[in-house]
Amino acid sequence: MDLFDQRKIYTVLEITSEIKRALEKFGILWIQGEISNFKHHSSGHMYFSLKDDRAQIKAAFFRNNNCLLKFRPEDGLEVLVRGRLSAYEPRGDYQVIVEYMEPRGLGSLQLAFEQLKEKLRKEGFFDEAHKVPLPLLPRKIGVVTSPTGAAIQDMLRILKRRNASLHILIFPARVQGAGAAEEIASGVRYFNTRDDIDVVIVGRGGGSIEDLWAFNEEIVARAIYSSDVPVISAVGHEVDFTIADFVADLRAPTPSAAAEMVSGAREELLSTVQSLSGRLSQSARLFLERRRSALERLARSRAFNAAPNMIRDLEQRFDEAALRMQQAVTRFATSLRHSERVMLARLAGIDLRLLIRSKSERLSRSRQLLNANLRAGLQQQRARIELAAGRLNALSPLAILARGYAICRDARGVLVRYAGSVTAGDGVRVTLAKGELDCRVEGVRLQPGD
Amino acid sequence: MELKVKDFESALKSLEEIVSQLEGGDLTLDRALELFEQGVKLSRFCSDKLEEAERKVEVLTRAADGTMKETPFSPGAESE
Repeated sequence: MDLFDQRKIYTVLEITSEIKRALEKFGILWIQGEISNFKHHSSGHMYFSLKDDRAQIKAAFFRNNNCLLKFRPEDGLEVLVRGRLSAYEPRGDYQVIVEYMEPRGLGSLQLAFEQLKEKLRKEGFFDEAHKVPLPLLPRKIGVVTSPTGAAIQDMLRILKRRNASLHILIFPARVQGAGAAEEIASGVRYFNTRDDIDVVIVGRGGGSIEDLWAFNEEIVARAIYSSDVPVISAVGHEVDFTIADFVADLRAPTPSAAAEMVSGAREELLSTVQSLSGRLSQSARLFLERRRSALERLARSRAFNAAPNMIRDLEQRFDEAALRMQQAVTRFATSLRHSERVMLARLAGIDLRLLIRSKSERLSRSRQLLNANLRAGLQQQRARIELAAGRLNALSPLAILARGYAICRDARGVLVRYAGSVTAGDGVRVTLAKGELDCRVEGVRLQPGD
Repeated sequence: MELKVKDFESALKSLEEIVSQLEGGDLTLDRALELFEQGVKLSRFCSDKLEEAERKVEVLTRAADGTMKETPFSPGAESE
């Protein structure tokens, strides 16, 4: 038998197990590649492929390891993974079981920072419209910081130097490490449950991105965003920017700067109030001055003094007019006396008695004429009346009856003018000039033609 | 104009308004005096508020029953 004829015939399981063993010999290795087909199951496990332009390898990143990730893996991201190779016999494929992953290029924290910043920006967490201004004169400040840290020391030193009359209330919180973000968020929330806090400061001293990481956590961002009390973030140094800085209503480059911000107002406001008081009295004084000088000008003006002049004018004119009038009256009286004399002279030349006698004769003649006329008139009237009375009398029914006529009425009292309006046997009443008769119709004789 | 002063901010704002009205000058004498009086009151109120000196530093600690207690704080002292 040929050596080369000796064939080892493997079962599928055998060869697959060989492959698995061979792969496991690699031990822990690092692979760099681009993530594609990334899936994050509800179980918490991540499944994806790592590829370059020529090849790809399946990868699994289980929950117990991937929970430590700060950033979100996504398709297209270049990453460095550390893990072990393995084969999955039932499916006949191989994969890398990832224990650790970091982004290539950016540090994982930086990437996480960028990712959260973009996510929150989209949600409107950084919108200017959402930010509220600090109160003009804050009195009570809530500070979320480490009670033993440098930040609070710096702040208190500044406040003491400025002699600010502020009430500071410290909420002690860890400012780095596990659980720090939760404590910071809880501090911000606590100050919102009180109604006496004017401003909240969250801050800590300088450090690395890892040290400051708690202030980049989503829970802190949400607590600051939901805060009704204005929040100043004072994290690290001037160059350090954390998510908290973007969400806060105001960013202080350092904790000391924050202390300046909340205490500075008082001095400025004091000088504002003083200057306003000055302007107040100044303007009131000027106001009165203006009025007074206006009044004085008025008193000196021509119009004011014109009045007495005018009165004197009028008085003079009045006097002149009065004088003229007096003269006119005198002249009139003089002329009147003159005409009086003329009249007397004329009267003297007349015999008044003769005049009276003739006038009275005329008067009595007129009276007689009047009487005569009156009498004549009366006579005329009486004659007419008598004539009318006579006529009237002739027409009177009584006069007619006196001449022998009678009035006939039927049983109903209606006048009987025609024979035909009664029949034989009817009762009629007849009225004479003197008295009445009750008669019965014996017979009716109609006129020919009725 | 009712002197309804709730806080420093509104008092300051009212004072500014009064001053600008008086500086405008177009007022009756009575009105000007009225405004001046109110201005004086507001100015005093603002100064008083600013003078109120109260410097106090406290730290919160959680009591056994879960409530927060305020205790005086001295920087440099260990407290947690």
